[in-house]
This record gives sequence, C-alpha cells and structure tokens, in this order.
Amino acid sequence: MGIIEKVPAYIERIPGGGIVTTTMDWVLNQSRACSLWYMLFGLACCAIEMMAAGASRYDFDRFGMMFRASPRQSDLMFVAGTVTHKMAKRVKVLYEQMAEPRYVLAMGGCACNGGPFYYDCYSVLKGIDKVIPVDVYVPGCPPRPESLMEGCLKLQQKIKKEKMSDWASDRKKA
Amino acid sequence: MTKQEITEKFKTRFGPDLEVLETGQPETYLYISESRYHELCEFAKNDPDLDFDYLFNFGGAHYPEERFEIVLCLSSHEKRHNAIIKVKLDKDNPETVTISDVWEAANWFEREAMELFGIKFKNHPDPRPLLLVEDWDHGYPMRKGWTGPDFIPMPEE
Repeated sequence: MGIIEKVPAYIERIPGGGIVTTTMDWVLNQSRACSLWYMLFGLACCAIEMMAAGASRYDFDRFGMMFRASPRQSDLMFVAGTVTHKMAKRVKVLYEQMAEPRYVLAMGGCACNGGPFYYDCYSVLKGIDKVIPVDVYVPGCPPRPESLMEGCLKLQQKIKKEKMSDWASDRKKA
Repeated sequence: MTKQEITEKFKTRFGPDLEVLETGQPETYLYISESRYHELCEFAKNDPDLDFDYLFNFGGAHYPEERFEIVLCLSSHEKRHNAIIKVKLDKDNPETVTISDVWEAANWFEREAMELFGIKFKNHPDPRPLLLVEDWDHGYPMRKGWTGPDFIPMPEE
C-alpha cells in the first residue's frame, strides 16, 4: 500500500480533516463488518456446528456472512476444530492466501489452546495463535451456533472500532 | 467354527510355538512366536476351514522393560468367526517380517507401527512415513516415556 497508508494520518492533521477520516472510517467499517465472508473450511467436529450456524435455522446470512470456497475471496477464517502440527502448516498457507483485511476466529477448545488434547498428546498444536494471529476466541467443545454468533458479533464490534489513521502503524491488519 | 475348534486347529499345526490365552473373550486369543509368525498368517488365510480373509485391525503395544507386541485382529467374511493373534518382539530392537504379502491391508498398518512405535518390518514394499509431520525427527511418540518439544504430560493428582 505504501504511501496510501500514510494519507489518513496526514489528513487528520489538517483542520477539519478529522471529519473526513471519521466519516470514511464509518463507511469502511460498516461495509467490512456487515459483509464478513468466511472461508468454507473446517478441520474437525466444530465444522459441523459451523455448518449449522451457516444453515437456515441459525442463518449467518442475516449478518451478511456468506461462505466463500476460496481464501482469495474471504475476509474471515473460522479455525473450526483440532489443529494438528501437520495441518498447522496448511492453515498458515491458507491464512496467507487471504486478502487483507483478514480476520481469524478460533472456534472451540482445540483451536484456542489444544482443548482436550492439551495433555499427553504428540500431534496436536496447543492453540492456533502459535501460528497465526487470532481476533476472537470462542471456547466450547464444540461451541453451539449461538456462541459462534456471539463471537462474530464481537468481531463486528472490533472491526467497527478500527481507524484509518492506524493503517500505517498497525501492520498486522493494514 | 467355534472358538475351541479354531484354537485346536492352530494348536495341532503350531503346537509348542503357540501360547493360548484364556481371558473370557469370545474369540480365539493367542501368542505366536516371532519365528513362525509369517507361516501362521499364511496358514490362517489359506486354510479352507479357517478362511481368515480380512485383517480388520493391526496395532502395536509397548511394555517398557519387557517387550513390544504387535496385535492382529482377523475375521472371516464367509465363516463369520474372529481371532486375535499377538507376537512378542524384542524390547531393544523390535523387528519382524511384513505380512503385507498375505493381507494387503497390513501395508499401511505396518507403516503406522513403524512410525509410531519404531517396529521394523523386513521386506516391507513401501516403508515411507505415513502419519507424522514430514520433517519429524523426535523419535517414536507412542512408546512409553516419550517426550517431545511441546509435549505436556498429564499432571499427577
């Protein structure tokens, strides 16, 4: 992005420039938060709950969330299930293939910290946050669709607090 | 065939190399010596009365200070009877022959045991690693007392 990243920070210094950036923030954040397209990607039993949350009974569509079958088109990744060491490499590649801004929701105990596989286990990664940055953790084994939705609403709140002027400093998201 | 008939059939052929276990389980349950293990597998598959055409489970076991074991669970689709065969292996250098020429299913089971227990199978047609991470070099994780880079043992009560 280069110089574009720094533009909002300069505009903010001009008298009255804050009005421009906050208005643009509002527009961008609303459009990002209300069209979180998530990647169609599940690792274990949590994926079943994720599918239930996406289907008509719980209906993610009412938050503007639809699944995309490609990382290139998705904004949000649910890490839904047990992440083994072997799979962690693949998850990282998928994360890197997503276009920015991108968000990660760790779903279930296994993705948060290893969950039931925390002790006496040679093959499971102890939390996906050791490999990729996580925005929201949703505990549960597996979490019910309601919990997942709560997590998504928390993520929306988080997105709505983002500022353009942080682009240059916050390298993680911008 | 009943459990007794199967056990007798194996006993008459393999006599002293056999050790029958009686623990109240419904199927034949026996130890065979490592030297006649492959012969027993061929016999179990090809004998028309036994007709064990299906290897439905194959596993390893580790008894530290004593031995390694491999456990075969056999079944017959036609005769509808089962048997469990166990082989004791050396505790320091567990090694035996492959039975993937008898039951093709043993191929991947043996690769798994090779990788997780470090049991060697001579003449195996495809001895590549199967399950663990590609660059794994932390030993054999299913052995007792194994520890690895981020392995956290269950705390004592």
